[in-house]
Amino acid sequence: MADQAGAQNAAQSPRTAVVIGGNRIPFARAGGAYAYSSNRDMLIAALDGLVARFGLQGERIGEVAAGAVLKHSRDFNLTREAVLGSALSPETPAYDLQQACATGLETVVGLSNKIKLGQIESGIAGGVDSASDAPIAVSEGLRRVLLDLSRARTTQQKIRILSTLRPKDLSPNAPGTGEPRTGLSMGEHQAITTAAWQITREAQDELAYRSHQNLAAAYDRGFFADLLTPYRGLMRDANLRADTSPEKLATLKPVFGKGLDSPATMTAGNSTPLTDGAAVVLLGSEDYARANNLPMLANVVDAEAAAVDFVQGDEGLLMAPVHALPRLLKRNGLTFADFDFFEIHEAFAGTVLSSLAAWEDEEYCRRVLGLDGALGSIDRSKLNVNGSSLAAGHPFAATGGRIVASLAKTLSEQGGRGLISVCAAGGQGVVAILEARN
Amino acid sequence: MSQENGPAHLVQLEAVPALAGLYRRAVRTTVSRRVTRKGRPSVLPAVRHRVGGVRVELPALTRFQHLLGSAARDQLPSAYLHTVAFPVAMSVLARPDFPLPLLGMVHLSNEVRQERQVVASETLDVVAWSESLRPHPAGTQVDLVTEIAVDGQRVWSGRSVYLARGIRSEGAPERSSVERPAFVPPVPTGRWRLDADLGRRYAAVSGDWNPLHLSGPSARMLGMKGAIAHGMYLAARMVDEAVPAPSGALSWRVDFATPVQLPGTVTLCFASPAGGDAAPRSRIDVVGWDAKRRRPHFTGWVGAE
Repeated sequence: MADQAGAQNAAQSPRTAVVIGGNRIPFARAGGAYAYSSNRDMLIAALDGLVARFGLQGERIGEVAAGAVLKHSRDFNLTREAVLGSALSPETPAYDLQQACATGLETVVGLSNKIKLGQIESGIAGGVDSASDAPIAVSEGLRRVLLDLSRARTTQQKIRILSTLRPKDLSPNAPGTGEPRTGLSMGEHQAITTAAWQITREAQDELAYRSHQNLAAAYDRGFFADLLTPYRGLMRDANLRADTSPEKLATLKPVFGKGLDSPATMTAGNSTPLTDGAAVVLLGSEDYARANNLPMLANVVDAEAAAVDFVQGDEGLLMAPVHALPRLLKRNGLTFADFDFFEIHEAFAGTVLSSLAAWEDEEYCRRVLGLDGALGSIDRSKLNVNGSSLAAGHPFAATGGRIVASLAKTLSEQGGRGLISVCAAGGQGVVAILEARN
Repeated sequence: MSQENGPAHLVQLEAVPALAGLYRRAVRTTVSRRVTRKGRPSVLPAVRHRVGGVRVELPALTRFQHLLGSAARDQLPSAYLHTVAFPVAMSVLARPDFPLPLLGMVHLSNEVRQERQVVASETLDVVAWSESLRPHPAGTQVDLVTEIAVDGQRVWSGRSVYLARGIRSEGAPERSSVERPAFVPPVPTGRWRLDADLGRRYAAVSGDWNPLHLSGPSARMLGMKGAIAHGMYLAARMVDEAVPAPSGALSWRVDFATPVQLPGTVTLCFASPAGGDAAPRSRIDVVGWDAKRRRPHFTGWVGAE
């Protein structure tokens, strides 16, 4: 039986969880300003700024949850180690979470739920990723030999084990973006979906252009002044190209989908680059915010996760949010018309446009999503109004924190209701609703 | 900080000097002094060396922070400010009219008062001088005083005490014949395992290529049993681990006892002093010792406001 939580569950929670504020470091392109900064360094830098902004020095926070997608095994307790390296009270508990690119949003959901249940009063959610300082593993052959060697007792045994080592075992394994079950990269998967929904190159470039325009405009009007702390000489997201144009984007060569029957449309301009960065969000109960004289930007209303069968099924790898959203809307009795802002993570321009096309497609919504008709259209003027990942970059686990803090601030300034949609590797996705306070 | 030799002459240096050059010059001075057996220590040069407009290089800062195991944040570790300013202080010691030999001087203690946290984008003005030349039972002691200012405001000041062993001066007190109380190790709270190449690695990130720390042979040349850890490495790690994320003023002091041979293991105790109920985290006392020989390597404290 399909899991459809009803309105009596999450949407009517006993308490309210509010977004108090956020902080992130500017996102850098891989190999750029943060080339030598580790995940721990960047997470601490993001926490430092949050602590300074909200006067949290020495404070015991209810819980800190964060994660990284590309994580070295020595960072098993990454978030707790970051807390110990921060000015927060060392008595602040922390845990790591990993749900690919949905990591950051899921930490917000998890801690908000604890706040709603009254288990904690305050929480810091977030994530960090470094594509530059990525862990590199030894080959399976060398790993086997080293483990056997550590158990060997005699010199003879050691020599015998070492003799099984082959030259090719000495080459290291860098992490890839390939899906373990399909062997296709995320871009190749999206290229299949982009082609299936007949998304044009022009539409993708236009979305990328608007992302850069919106992000640049947000910087220019000082929107990020209380959402961002400079780090390692970077004041703005390094990937931002305020001067790009659809014409410039049109000159880029396609990089994904070159083996498909239809023309390849996905370029480096309408796909997110590998990025380094960190973002955190301060959450709390209303009581906590009031008692500490802290702002309340928006309420965290509800969230839903979904997963799709992209391996044997015919659904696209990054289409899970398309499935999560109608369930979330139904539970909350809402339609697209009830939202003023949409934050759809731009893993690729094709991902956003395929999702929008799917929700508009009556046949797909009936057959695949089990709805009575098309879910509806999203007013493009409400979409990613302060730019998104195509312009800012996408340090995987940091993206959720970036979106939640930006949307909460937008809601506090302009009122209304906001929807967040984040796709993730493994055919997963998380969607969430934030709401203005008044 | 007072100046005791009358008004000091201010020597403006073009840039922070390279320590490697200062050490090379010091080797020549040591050799020539050994040959000529020139003079006894008498007076310190009445000079202050100043370098303005010092900028921190981010890649070097990151390497320093990572070697200590601390987070690569934009805020400068207190000991890194010492490292940035150190060559200016050493240029005072390396002057031909400085009465003690730079090489082989033993670092006895450091005391630092930092008024506020400093970030990597700030421009630093460094001034350094020597004062308080005085006898010590084992030779002659001198203080090296360094101050760092940003926009004319002092943000950091440090006093390092050095001992020139065997350089006797008038009125030196005799070695005390009273037995020192035996060292009683506290309950350990941590351990540092220091690799054989730590001295070279710290030299690479700090610029302090003192031969004492680089290798067995170079250290033995200066009368050590083998390469020893930089005192400032121990101090930097002590400060960082005691207060990982200072946000305001910071004070600290370290007194060095026996050197840490490399490779080696230092056992540590970080503890809030008993009775500090009012502000339990405002001050941390630190002891680092050799657990096998039951000898202290250093004692210190870090106070954060």
